[in-house]
Amino acid sequence: MYLAFASSAFQTQLAYRGQVWASLFGSAVHVFAWIAIWMSVYQDTASVDGVTLPQMVTYALIGGPVLTAWQWRRLLNLVGNSVTSGDVAIYLLKPLRYPLYLFATECGNLFYRLAVTGLPVLVIVALVYGMLPPASLFHGLLFIAFWALSFVIMFLIAALCGLLAFWLLTAFSLEWLLQGILMLLSGTHIPLWFFPDAVAAIIKLLPVAWVGYHPIAVYLGKTSVTETLIYLGLGLGWALLLAAAVSALWRRAALRITVQGG
Amino acid sequence: MSTIIEARAVSKRFRQHRRFPGLRGAIRTLFTAEYSEVAAVTDVSYAISQGEAVGYLGPNGAGKSTMIKMLTGILVPTSGAVSVLGRTPHRERMTNAREIGVVFGQRSQLWWDLPVRDSFELHRRIYGIADARFTANLDYLSDLLDLGPFLDRAVRQLSLGQRMRAEIVMALLHDPKILFLDEPTIGLDVVAKDAVRRFLTRVNRERGTTIILTTHDLQDIEQICPRLIMVDQSRLIFDGDLRNLRATLGSRRRLTLEFGADPGSLTLRTALLTADEGLRKHYLLEREDISLVDVLTELGNGYDLKDIAFEEPNIEEVIRTFYQGRDAARAAG
Repeated sequence: MYLAFASSAFQTQLAYRGQVWASLFGSAVHVFAWIAIWMSVYQDTASVDGVTLPQMVTYALIGGPVLTAWQWRRLLNLVGNSVTSGDVAIYLLKPLRYPLYLFATECGNLFYRLAVTGLPVLVIVALVYGMLPPASLFHGLLFIAFWALSFVIMFLIAALCGLLAFWLLTAFSLEWLLQGILMLLSGTHIPLWFFPDAVAAIIKLLPVAWVGYHPIAVYLGKTSVTETLIYLGLGLGWALLLAAAVSALWRRAALRITVQGG
Repeated sequence: MSTIIEARAVSKRFRQHRRFPGLRGAIRTLFTAEYSEVAAVTDVSYAISQGEAVGYLGPNGAGKSTMIKMLTGILVPTSGAVSVLGRTPHRERMTNAREIGVVFGQRSQLWWDLPVRDSFELHRRIYGIADARFTANLDYLSDLLDLGPFLDRAVRQLSLGQRMRAEIVMALLHDPKILFLDEPTIGLDVVAKDAVRRFLTRVNRERGTTIILTTHDLQDIEQICPRLIMVDQSRLIFDGDLRNLRATLGSRRRLTLEFGADPGSLTLRTALLTADEGLRKHYLLEREDISLVDVLTELGNGYDLKDIAFEEPNIEEVIRTFYQGRDAARAAG
């Protein structure tokens, strides 16, 4: 049943084919801009902090079209609007679990976004600037696990913020806050190794680091085998913790909807 | 017949954060935690048997939707208890959901961007409906409501009438024992309303599906529901056969007498003279126990009576009179 939701979300997206070109173009411009920034940084030097330009281009390609393909803002607003407007009641009428329903739908959305914007942009830009392969087979395989984890953690954070809108009555401010945090700390744009060591050490342990930084660091082979496995474990721990938080918050929201009528 | 829905002294009160008017009030609202309580349903009891069709009638804000939400398990009563198919709906929400169908006139449950057929398919997966049963139900229901022409169109492209027909069909695909409809005919044109009404009547008779519908359109009830539950200001004011409503709320039948020659002013003990046009006189029969025969007996044979027109008021008028009387009583008290 939840698989059906994923495929229907995919089909729903197909209904808006007009958006494809806009998001394709937007995503490509975004990546080009970041690559341009890194190229100007590397104009006079071959490596910064032991990182080479091809590595940074690869970084931008994974952090851009691959890891930010999924639109977390849509989920946050969807959840926020449906809990504040009470539309969520229709999901309470059906024999299904709302958070799982959302997760299934967003999986469908993720695959759609990857298929129509993420991968095409990756291929086009990689053909222009080149892209490094994963550091090793181990790192390549683990990257896939980290990539899935990145989506799961991002999904849970967005769902959590959406549910919080139920008490704050607006999802808008949370969206901006989250965007700022992600931009700065997740490492999808700025690698954490450019931060002061002490700061980076802390950020590396925050859940947002698994959204961008850790998957890319693994791909580029910046982490040893043991480190990689430790971070995988920690990431799974965060995912479980966040899932528990989403579940608890959803239960409270559902209780409040049924007791107070929203 | 067995009772499948029961409400026992059900009340629902909502707590609302008290807001103060104006800019200064808005700031005050931010820092205060004063609440006012609004009673949506007060001490309502009834029992509904399997196969019944019940109309739940009342003006806006009388607590109709609140009651439907309690029966479907998405609202918890403040006090009292509801029981649906022997269960407490909000405690066994998932099990309850499998056995009921719900249609909200104001809130779509179809997937907006998908063709109607795909929404049905998702519904099949959610409820785990067996293929054969699903196909049979879909054929039967969509044939009755004529969904064929727009089954493959996206929901957002449908007219309100088409969408509502699709909503009702979807709610019935999993053979629910009870179908709840919250204002299913709201905003529909006459033709669409009629189609929905005839369909619901058939489903109730042929499949034995118990139907509970809220409305403020009396014709819905006259055509679909032999039984009427009427609420007003959160309280139950009538529960019974539609035909008994007149007797309960007090009917005012109109009588017009036409004479060959003007009998002059003619006051009667049994009927109240409301208008005198000389040859034609209009009366009102206010008491239920006085029949036309009583009036004619009092009148006797002494007049040149040409014609009699006797008019039972329609239900709408009965109810309007009731509400007006209530408002007047409140203004006076």
